[in-house]
Formats: sequence, C-alpha cells, structure tokens
Amino acid sequence: MRDMLGEMPVHRGEEGLKKDKLMPTVTIDGQKVEVERDATVLDAAKKAGVWIPTLCYHPAVSTSGSCRICMVELDRGDWRQLITACNYPVRRDIVVYVSSERAERARRSVMELLLARAPESPELKALAERMGVKSTPYPTVTESQRSCILCGLCVAVCEEIIGRAAIGYAGRGVDRTVAAPFRQPSEDCIGCGACAAICPVGTIKVRVHEDQQEVEISPFKSRAKLTVCRQCGEPIGSALVSERVLAKVQVSSEEFSELMRLCPKCRRSKTAAQLESADTDRRKVDVKAAKEQMSLKK
Amino acid sequence: MSTIASKRLNCAADLERIREQLLSLRVASAKSVHICTGPGCAAKGSPRLYELFCEAVKEAGVDVEVQAKAVGCHGLCECGPIVLIQPSDIFYQRVEEPDVAEIFRETVLGDRVIERLLYENPTTGEKAKSADEIPFYKAQKRVALACNGVVDPTKITDYIAEGGYGALAKVLSVMTPEEVISEVEVAGLRGRGGGGFPTARKWRSCREAEGSPRYVICNGDEGDPGAFMDRAIMEGNPHSVLEGMLIGAYAIGSSQGYIYVRNEYPLSVECLKQAISQAREIGLLGQNILGNSFSFDIRINRGGGAFVCGESTALMASLEGRTGEPRAKYVHTIESGLWGKPTNLNNVETWANVPAIINNGGEWFANIGTERSKGTKVFSLVGKVENTGLVEVPMGITLRRIVDEIGGGIRGDKLFKAVQTGGPSGGCIPAEHLDARVDFDELTKLGSMMGSGGMIVMDEDTCMVNVAKYFTDFLQKESCGKCTPCREGLSQMLHILSRISRGEGEVGDVEELGTLAEILEGTALCALGKTAANPVLSTIRYFRDEYDAHILDRRCPAKECRGLFRYEIDAEACKACGICLKNCPADAITGEKKVPHVINQEKCTLCGTCWEKCPFTAVKKV
Amino acid sequence: MAEDDKLIDGIVGRYDGEVGMLIPMMQDVQAECGYLPVEQLRVLSKRLEVPLSRLFAVATFYSSFRLAPKGAHEVTLCMGTVCYLKGAGGISEAICKEFRVEPGGTTRDRLFSFQAVNCVGACAVAPVMLVDGRYYGGVTPSSAIEVIYGLSPHEATAEKEGAR
Repeated sequence: MRDMLGEMPVHRGEEGLKKDKLMPTVTIDGQKVEVERDATVLDAAKKAGVWIPTLCYHPAVSTSGSCRICMVELDRGDWRQLITACNYPVRRDIVVYVSSERAERARRSVMELLLARAPESPELKALAERMGVKSTPYPTVTESQRSCILCGLCVAVCEEIIGRAAIGYAGRGVDRTVAAPFRQPSEDCIGCGACAAICPVGTIKVRVHEDQQEVEISPFKSRAKLTVCRQCGEPIGSALVSERVLAKVQVSSEEFSELMRLCPKCRRSKTAAQLESADTDRRKVDVKAAKEQMSLKK
Repeated sequence: MSTIASKRLNCAADLERIREQLLSLRVASAKSVHICTGPGCAAKGSPRLYELFCEAVKEAGVDVEVQAKAVGCHGLCECGPIVLIQPSDIFYQRVEEPDVAEIFRETVLGDRVIERLLYENPTTGEKAKSADEIPFYKAQKRVALACNGVVDPTKITDYIAEGGYGALAKVLSVMTPEEVISEVEVAGLRGRGGGGFPTARKWRSCREAEGSPRYVICNGDEGDPGAFMDRAIMEGNPHSVLEGMLIGAYAIGSSQGYIYVRNEYPLSVECLKQAISQAREIGLLGQNILGNSFSFDIRINRGGGAFVCGESTALMASLEGRTGEPRAKYVHTIESGLWGKPTNLNNVETWANVPAIINNGGEWFANIGTERSKGTKVFSLVGKVENTGLVEVPMGITLRRIVDEIGGGIRGDKLFKAVQTGGPSGGCIPAEHLDARVDFDELTKLGSMMGSGGMIVMDEDTCMVNVAKYFTDFLQKESCGKCTPCREGLSQMLHILSRISRGEGEVGDVEELGTLAEILEGTALCALGKTAANPVLSTIRYFRDEYDAHILDRRCPAKECRGLFRYEIDAEACKACGICLKNCPADAITGEKKVPHVINQEKCTLCGTCWEKCPFTAVKKV
Repeated sequence: MAEDDKLIDGIVGRYDGEVGMLIPMMQDVQAECGYLPVEQLRVLSKRLEVPLSRLFAVATFYSSFRLAPKGAHEVTLCMGTVCYLKGAGGISEAICKEFRVEPGGTTRDRLFSFQAVNCVGACAVAPVMLVDGRYYGGVTPSSAIEVIYGLSPHEATAEKEGAR
C-alpha cells in the first residue's frame, strides 16, 4: 500500500520545483554520480560502473519497464521503495541501493519466475548465472512460445526503428504472445531480422531457405525473397530491405545501386579493382613529415 | 416541463429562475409515485411496474394531480421492487404487477396504507411506513445517493428543481478556481475509487502542471465483482457526475472531459448520454457556460471488456485506442497523462460528492467521518446477509453496524465468518475484527482495504481457500500480462491453490504463497498487480487453520471443496425412500425399504447428487 | 471490397477519424457484422493509418471482441466428473462428428457455437447440455443431436450488443 501512495503526485508548486535540479546527484551503493535531469537510474548506474541486469531495456527503443529484472531500492527517508532502474527519471538528488538484500532478492525472484517460464533459453540461463541464480524453485506452469519472455523488444524495434509494425502483441495475461496479425505470415514484414537481432533470449531466428531463395523469420513464419549477389550468387539478405534502402537513399549514381546488388565480399573486390585502375595520382605520403610541415606553417 | 429547460441559460440567475418556475409548478397537494428502476429492482421487472403506473396515471384523468416517476437505485435491493409514494413518504417493498392497481386506488387516491406491502422488521415484527423507520436506512447518511429515489434521472428539470447545478452556478459566478480547490481541501475529500488520494491535492497539482490542454476523466470502469455503486450513481443521478466534473474542470483549467464506462454497463452509457445531451441543450455544457468564459464538454467512451482498464494509466491507454496496459507512474498522469497532457482522473462517486461540498461547504463535509477519512462512502452490501443492497454511511462506522444493523445479520441460522472488502485488491476480515471502523486506513491495517466499496458477507459454509482461489483465478484471467511478477506470479499462486483445493497440497505451500505474495507486492508494475495477493494473504492470516486442514488432513472444514469432505446418511433422519439410491451414478448406496440407506465411501464419487435429491435432508456433509 | 469501404468510411467519419476512438470504431464494426472480419480490419487499418498489428492486438486484448462469428445458438456440454462418468465424452464426440465442429468452435453455417465446460452444477440430471441457457438433462448422443437439429437458424442468441 505504501508503494501506491509513494508514487502519487507531489505538490509541484514552489516547494516542489525548488527541489528539482538541472544536474542531480545519484548516490548509488555509496558512489556519487552527477547526471542530467531526467536521466534514468540505469544511466546513473552505468556511469558509476555499477551493473544492473536488464532484459526488456534497449537504448534504441522506448522503455516499457515490464520485465522487472532491474529492480533497485530508492531511499525515501523512513522507508525504501522498490523501483525499476531503467525508467525511473532522476530529477533531484536521490540515494539508490543496488546491492541491498531486498533489491537482490527482488531481482532474483523475478529471474526465478522467468526461468520457470522459459527454461530452455541459454541466454536467459547465462544472465541468471551472472545474477547468482542457479535454478528456479518453480514448476513451469505457463507455456511460452520458444522461451519468449514477452519483453516486447521485437515489437518495439519493428514499430519504432524499422517502421513496419509487422508484429505485435496478441491476447492478454498468461495467453499473451507476440504474433503477426491473425497469426498469419505478415504482409508488412520485410525480413530484415531486426527482431531476431534484438531478442535477448534467442526466441526469434532468421532462417535462410537457400533452395527457395527466401529468408524466414521464425516463429512468425513471415518470409521475404532473398537478393543474391550478381557476382557470386551468395545470398545477401532480404530483397525488400535492399529496395527500401535504395528508395530511402537519394542517390543519383548508378554505381551505388550496382554495389547494392553485390555481397560485401564482391563489393570490396569491386571497389578495390576500381581504385587500382583509377586515374589518380598515387604517391606515398610521409605522415610525420606532413605534420611537421603543417605545424611550421602555423 | 420540457419547454422550461430548452432555452439556453446565460447566467446563474437564469438557472435560479428556472428552478423557481419548476418549484412553483409543483402543486402542493400533488401525489408522486416513485418506482425504483435501479439495477436490482430492474432485474425483478420494475420497468414494467413503471409502465403500469404511467397507464394508471393517464387513466385517472386530468383532475387528479399525480405523476409517476422512474427513479434510481434506492438501496434496499433485497426487498425490491421498491415503490415510494410522496409526499406521504410511504415505502412499499416487493411490489408486483397485480399490486399496481391496488396501490393506485388505495394509497395514491385514497391515502390508505396497504399493510402487506410495508417492510416488516424480521426480529420485532414491526411494520415501517417510511424508509427512515427501517433499520437498513436509519444508520445511513446519503450524500452521493441523496437524489436516488427522488429524482428522475432522465429529466434534467428534476435535478434542477432539487437544486441541481446550483453549485456550478455558485462556482462560476463568485468563486475562483483556487477557491474551489480550497473548499474541496477543507472538505478533505479523498478518491472513492479505491486509491483514496486527496482530491484537492490532485486538482491543484494538475492545475499547476505544465502543458495544455488539460483533461478531466471520470472512471466508470467499475470492475470489482459484487460492486455496483457507480452504476447506481450513473443510472440514478447522472447529472451529479456531470456537475462534479464541470466544477473540477473549472478548478483545474480543463475544457475537455471523458467518462469511461465499462462495456458491461450499456444502460449507464445511455443515461449519461441523455444527461449530456440535455445539459448541452440548455448550455450547461459547451461554450461560455452560464455567461462565464469557461467552456467544457464531455465525451463518453465504452470499455472493451478488461478489468485492468480500471487502473488510470490503462484507462488512458484505452482512450488512446491502444491495449489497456498500465505504465510506470514515476511521472504521474497529472503531469503527463492522456496524450501526454496533464490529466486528472477521479472515480464516479468522487465526482458525485463535489456539488454537495460546494453547496454545503467543505466544513460540513469534514464534520462527517473520521479524522483522516471525511464524508460518506457508498457500499454494495451483498452475500449472505438478510438485506442486500446499496448503502451510504459516514466513514468510521463499524463493520458490525453495517453487517448487523443495516444488513440485518446473517441469513438463515448460519454464523458469520468473514466480510470481503475491496474487491480483488482487498481481503477478508473475520468476526474478531467486526468492530473495526470502516475508512481508508483502518481496513488496510487489517490486511484488506476499503477499495471501491464492495462488501461481500460470508458465512460458515464458505471455504476461505476457495475464496482465495476464486480471486486469484479472476486476477489471472484479467491480468494484462505486461509485467513478469503479475503474469507469472499469479499463475504460480493459482497452481498452488488449485493443488491445495484438490487435496494435493504440500507442506511449505503456505510459505510459498507468502513468498510469491511478497514478490508481487514489491515488483509488480501497477497497483492491481501489487495488491493481487491480498485475498491470499488475508485468508492465510485469519484462516490459516483452513489451509492446514486442506494440506495436512486433506479436509475442507467448510465442506465446499469437492473431494475433501464426505457424504454420510444420517440413519435417524433417513426415511428409506430410495431416491438417493436410484439417482446415484456410481451405485454407491445400499438400502431397502424401511432400512436406512448407507453410502459406500469407496464407491462414492462425491458428486453430491444424493445430497441434492434427498427430500428429508438426511444426507450430511461430513 | 466496396461495401467494406463504405461501412468503414461511415464509421471512421462518425468519429472524425480520431485514432483515440479506435475501440468505439471496432465496437461499431462488431455491432454491424456480429464479429470483426479480417477484411474490415484491413480497411480500417488503411483508413486510420494504424498498423494492422495494433488492431489485432486490441481485438485480442479486450474480451468483448470476437474474431470469429458466433453461432446463432450456444450449445454447452458439461464435462464435470459425473457427466463424464455418464458418457459426456461420447456425446461430445458425437456432436463434433455430426456437425463438423470442435469444442470452442462454431459450425460453418453458424448455427451454433459449441463449448465444453467444467461442471454446471446439475449433476443430478447428468449428462447435462445447455442450449441458449436452457438445461437439458439426461441427454444421450442421439437425443443431444436431435435437440440441435431442432434449432432454428433465425433465432439469435439473446444478447445485447449496444453499439452507440
């Protein structure tokens, strides 16, 4: 109950605003660091070199604060409040405890619940180890789709960074999953694999089907055609991604479009060949001598 | 009547003028029949009674000064349908269609009281002529429900005649926004939706927050099972909510309000829509209200069916066309709420109290209640009490007075066991704490909370482990699934509780439940998740022996959990009629004519058919 | 489809295209169609410029939304212990086979939705089947099928689906 009222608005009249600072100080496990106003406790911890585990947090996307693995204690005078470090905005001088018994117990308990849900993920187990959680006392009572912990990073990256929103949440509560609309392969998916890259527990995978010249995002079943290198025939990536890059980059040069149709290896050899045959004046430059000359000029 | 309230009001004096006109039209000798069409009475067919009374009025002709009115929930739902005859203040209960003609003839026209329709006190046998003679109503103090039973919610003129919108007029003509906030502060009004946050403080913070526009929201997503207080207000006196919101919006500096009504209340939506339309027609909503530069309008949104949308940030997400997921409240909605703008959200009952505070003064309100809980609170008293219904009492009244005096005690010959308050965020309070005073803080100390006002009374036949399981199951189904502790923690708790109620409990289960409860309380994202373990915690605290019986003895003391109690035939009561034998699906009963029947415990599947069928109640739960 | 467009255009226009009114819009679609058809949601997604994944998330989050048409009638079969002992399993199989439906699903002609539930508390008359809330006790595979054949396709289940 205390927690509920503790988070309620403070009268932010003269009295309240006075306490807000431009560069508040966070005392984190005894260490003092200054941060910019509205930086998070997690930012402060990073600055102080204090490690706090995270799962649903990623600097590239908005923070949901949903996994609850980054819980720390905030000093409130006569009591301590458990808060999530990733999204608590620092506006005044505060004191935070990361290694206190209660904070550690809170984080470990959350991890134990997650391990019960997703017992197969090696990444999750590795994080658990680092946190000092060897196993979970809980049975698996909720079935997750291939170790999904519902951190929401895949949904966020697809909507906010890639701008496609090809996947989203479906259902509610224990039946919640991440899925493409109507659980059919998404028409909006471009096969870029950003979701797979950002997934912290290895649930989402990019599968290349060479025979069909397609890339598949598993488990969503969305597929996209692969571009193959014009030179050597190696698969490069999703054709839709290349097309979008070409569309977004305003290029007048034919050369660039040509390069985009080659795999990185062939691209490099082509550029190297071009440089070799270029009609440019090539001479060895003595860097030390050049620097001396410049300083003399000054 | 309708022409009086169709011209736009341009100033406070216009409103006063209409009111005087309406009052002058009221003939002193006129009789009025008020038929309650609140949720309880409506379920028993009272709308039809209203129709019949209207017909009777029509037939009576123009010389007879009488009108029939449909009014909002009067409270004593147990005795519904309720019909009141004014001005004699006669209270008729359990009225049925054939009674209408008699009532009209005898009481309305003939001023004679029909004894059999009066309320009879079950202990003393005394008949009560008026509501205030009935113990159920005596201990009540009606502020938010003051107009229920008096006002026709579909007529703005009725509300105005009773003084409605007078508070708004006062505010707009002689009070500054800060003065309004001060008045509410003196009153000490705290949120009635469960959180109990000081309302004036919220308004002031919102007023001072940076950003525009500012929004004002009414939370009508009454999701607690067993609670219908807000519904009774929305359907019984919708204008009180509108007036409250208007006053609050003026104080905060908002020009746009929303009322969010849960999907399961279509009638409330209709009532509010009608009220808004009538208010707009005479300029009480819209631009330049009552000649002031203040403009305000209200929009109604229906929920989609999600208990979690009663949480303020989830509600706002829903209003933004998103899934109803709560978010962290480190930056409060006062600063950044709906569409990232300063937003003030209050519960239906909170808004409904505001006009009375302005009319009677903050001090008047503060004189009711306790030191930290001012005013009154509406409760829905349901369960195993004699008198179920809606009650409004001053804060600080004891649970005992509510259950015994108002509720009339436990039904039948059963013993009181517990009263569950606060819905799924609350807990059960046992007999030893019946003298606890009901307010924001006392019940919290006992491991429950006052919550939005649901009060479910339980007797000796209720299994408390089953109660904990029921609430945990409810919360798990309604969980939004965003945060780990609520989604996973509740599932783990439900798993354990299910095992226990199946007789598969293990030593250490209760401790495990306690640990999980602590995890939820400390790490859940929203208040609903944080308090989700309360039903389990409070039942463990006060009824640990029941948990132990389930786990250690594989026995359910209340005899509710299937498989954890036995059926036995009382040889003395058995008349050897053979009904149980014939119906037993497992052929587990043996017996002959004139020989008491016996249940073979090994064959018995514990289905309970014999217990149900025995006409002599000879089958006992053991 | 032109009709889809017209319906959606009308609904979107009713709320001035405000994205915040997405849920009322979807409620109106469901009131009109009886459920939320995929095609309508696609058109709505385009008109509002809101990703289809968001509409799907909202449609599956709130309990009042249905993505599949409900049958005109609701047939519920009790699978509690006693009913089960008395052959409810066989009755369920028979219904599924005869009407080509699965528990939790709806028949193709949308005559009825079929649900299996855990104990309706009428064990004395097991096996129990409910049709539109009405109890049928002591049913057998053949009597259950007979009752269902007697259902009229034109009677709707008594359910209020208030739109505006």
